Amino acid sequence: MKSRLRIIFPIGLFLALFLDGSLSNVFAGSLFKYPYSSVLHLVLMWIIFAVFLDDRDELPILAWSAFAGLVFDWFYTGVFGVYVVALPLIVYLCRQIKPWLDLNFLTLLMVYIINLTIVEAFVYTWYLMSKVITSNLADFAVYTLGPTIAVNLAIFVILYYPMRQLYLRVE
Amino acid sequence: MQKFFSNRKLVIAIIILIISFGLMSVSVAIRNRKSTPPLVQQFGNDVAGAIDRVVALPVNGLQSATTSVSDLLNTYQENQKLKKQVDQLAQAKVNAQTATAENKQLRKELKLNQSLSDYTAVTANVLTRTPSSWMNQLVISKGATAGVKKNMPVMSQSGLIGRVVEVNQTNSKVELISNTSSSADKFAIQVTNSAGKTVNGIVTGFDKSDNYIQMGSVTSSVKIKKGDKVVTSGLGGLTPKGLYVGTVAKIKQDDYGLASEVEIKPAADLTDLTVVTVAEQ
Repeated sequence: MKSRLRIIFPIGLFLALFLDGSLSNVFAGSLFKYPYSSVLHLVLMWIIFAVFLDDRDELPILAWSAFAGLVFDWFYTGVFGVYVVALPLIVYLCRQIKPWLDLNFLTLLMVYIINLTIVEAFVYTWYLMSKVITSNLADFAVYTLGPTIAVNLAIFVILYYPMRQLYLRVE
Repeated sequence: MQKFFSNRKLVIAIIILIISFGLMSVSVAIRNRKSTPPLVQQFGNDVAGAIDRVVALPVNGLQSATTSVSDLLNTYQENQKLKKQVDQLAQAKVNAQTATAENKQLRKELKLNQSLSDYTAVTANVLTRTPSSWMNQLVISKGATAGVKKNMPVMSQSGLIGRVVEVNQTNSKVELISNTSSSADKFAIQVTNSAGKTVNGIVTGFDKSDNYIQMGSVTSSVKIKKGDKVVTSGLGGLTPKGLYVGTVAKIKQDDYGLASEVEIKPAADLTDLTVVTVAEQ
């Protein structure tokens, strides 16, 4: 049955990638309402689900996440070298901590919060260093990180059980 | 627990960081150049744009369906309000037509064929918005094949929203006017007061707390009032003259008390964009 997941995973990954942009545009009025800006991270969620719910570690997630990160940099921002490193980094970290975790809803939720923080902080630091943006740390934490975690957790809670069912059924 | 940072892993991590930072520096440098992105990058963007169209289509369809329903609910009130405006509009339209015809004739007599206010419009759909809090960018569905060039101004139905920063063959990226990054290009604009006097200046920033466009370093003694209209001045570059930007919201002294700063309320809603127009001079 492993071949089905091998096809579903990349398709879902790119669907999530483009949905991130489309939904950001459609709901821009509520997602980017001043002073808060909440960033959708469907790609990150799809990757984390894949790392933790794929029991036999047979998906080439690291390579696919690097490719998705490359497309993200390429198509959305035009600044290379940010997401293309951030997403594989997350996959690597998740694989490192996976053996120590007792997998259930709450632990996965905590892992997701930590990973959201890592990705947002990484992107913020990188853009700050290359002078793409000027913003201070307090503004970042309060106005970007907070709302981003809130919105993405809500999506996570809604999608957790359907996603688990998907992986259980396919395997 | 295995050793987290063995020597080999440390070296690999440092190399990856250096490559990533190098890539970023190079692409920022390329972005700030006046020419379009390299061919490889254009090709990748075109492919991604083509796939994105497939995903964006149902999502945008859903959005237009919901807006249709809410439009339907407001129809009665809106209709009554609009009926009052229609009569005045017809008159204004005839006036404008006569003025345009006269203007054309006079220009012909002066042998002034091209003026700053002439432009042709390319209408494009908005494909996606960058899902990031740092880059206020849109991807629109027209590119170099439709005549879009870098640095052209982009408008929504009601006013100026930004400028083209990257052109591919079939799509292009638009940086919104609310982008405060230091590398953003600034528009040349002018304020016209009720007496017909103008004050020239450039957009110097965006005040995120009120969603106002800022025009700083204004030293002119011409009196500007709240509500005065602001349009692009057409000076310096690709922006045509007379694109509507917004109205003056307030005027205040700058931090040093030497010049004043005009805050402008943008006419366009930057968070509700489905169709935009690229103006080419």
